[in-house]
Amino acid sequence: MGTDMATDYMDLLELQQRIKEGIEDAFPGRIWVKAEISQWSPRANGHCYLSLSESRDGRVVAEVRAMIWKWNYLQLKTFFEEAAGQPLQAGITVLVRVEVSYSELYGISLFIDDIDPAFTLGEAALERKRTIERLTAGGYMDMQKELALPPLPRRLAVITSRTAAGYGDFRRHLLENEAGYAFELDLYEALMQGESAPASIVSALQQARERGGYDAVLILRGGGSELDLACFDDYDLAVSIATCPLPVVTAIGHDRDVHVADMVASRSVKTPTALADLFLDAFMEEDMRLDTLESRITMAVMRRYQTLEGILDRALYRLRFAVESRLGKEEALLKVKEALIGASDPRKILSLGYVLVTGSDNKVLKSARGARVGERIGVRFSDGAVRARVEEVSEGQEISRLRSK
Amino acid sequence: MTVIMEEKFDYTKAIAELEEIAAKVENPETKLDEIDALVLRSKELLKGCREYLRGVKDKLDSLDQE
Repeated sequence: MGTDMATDYMDLLELQQRIKEGIEDAFPGRIWVKAEISQWSPRANGHCYLSLSESRDGRVVAEVRAMIWKWNYLQLKTFFEEAAGQPLQAGITVLVRVEVSYSELYGISLFIDDIDPAFTLGEAALERKRTIERLTAGGYMDMQKELALPPLPRRLAVITSRTAAGYGDFRRHLLENEAGYAFELDLYEALMQGESAPASIVSALQQARERGGYDAVLILRGGGSELDLACFDDYDLAVSIATCPLPVVTAIGHDRDVHVADMVASRSVKTPTALADLFLDAFMEEDMRLDTLESRITMAVMRRYQTLEGILDRALYRLRFAVESRLGKEEALLKVKEALIGASDPRKILSLGYVLVTGSDNKVLKSARGARVGERIGVRFSDGAVRARVEEVSEGQEISRLRSK
Repeated sequence: MTVIMEEKFDYTKAIAELEEIAAKVENPETKLDEIDALVLRSKELLKGCREYLRGVKDKLDSLDQE
């Protein structure tokens, strides 16, 4: 520096005024700027102060203060969150319309009066796409798909927020099942929304892994703001799920889209109730299998006894028939014998008109030759007898003669 | 802290044995006196399996009450 005092200088205010003029000339209207929100602090006075920045290779290369006036703030925030489906907060990349303003006291500042949610949506989608590509390249996408749930998943680690409404629903539905199936639940508490959620869930996952002995690990969002789901697209969380040696089931519960966490998990369902059903169904299926086995055995035994009964029935029938027919035969035989006996009874013969002739010696006269003329003979009928004298004895053809009479 | 209990009852083995029993009972070659014993055993196994799906509930319920 010279020893001569410079005579050509200006006041600070003048300098600032000239900068202000220069800037305001350079940016006379409003312009759209793409930047990341690096700080976000709505104030009690209604205005929102923030920092916008840009990073390259992980280093901040540009940063500027910005603000949203309270007369714009609520409307802008609501509009953005409804359209983009995520909260307006630090960490997201936005496209905002700004007025570049320079204050002689505070320096440069951007006044935001409009925001384009479609841009943020696109950025998020792009970011998500990049995450999926990285996971695919790393072989993480299908790691969990090789881990099947055991047939009876009973010991479950649940990562969720204790106060989440969905956790209560899940617990009730699972533990108060009508069939009385038994489960073990261990709760691992984690933040389920916001910027810190991924790290918190990763740490809970780690704890569950270290404890071990679980059939599955469940990640249950179970409520909270539907806007704040970006954490389930986080790369580190996805890797942590993918590399978990236990099957991970997610129930993040948002029907708008599938999250990266869902994609890398072994299974994913929408609601806490569906999550409980997944396990109840496995038990119900086993129960049905038992019923089927039981009825198979019962039916087989019944068939066996039915067959046996049939065999006995038939045997009994044949026996009865044999006995009956045997008895019948005996009866017939008896009748014949009786008939034979009856037939040989002399009285029966006599009743038919035959007679019994006895000679004078009282012996039966069996032939004409045995009779002598003049002999007194006895003739016996069935109802009595007569005495007679033989007048003539002739031999042969007597019967025919008698008949011709 | 949760202590995870190991059940003595081997469910998978029990199911395999039940399948075997069903096949035996269905086989007309199996003798009747054998069937009675098989049916008794199947009842035992079915009871065990059903208890396995439910039985230890009381013990498990206490685990989550921290």
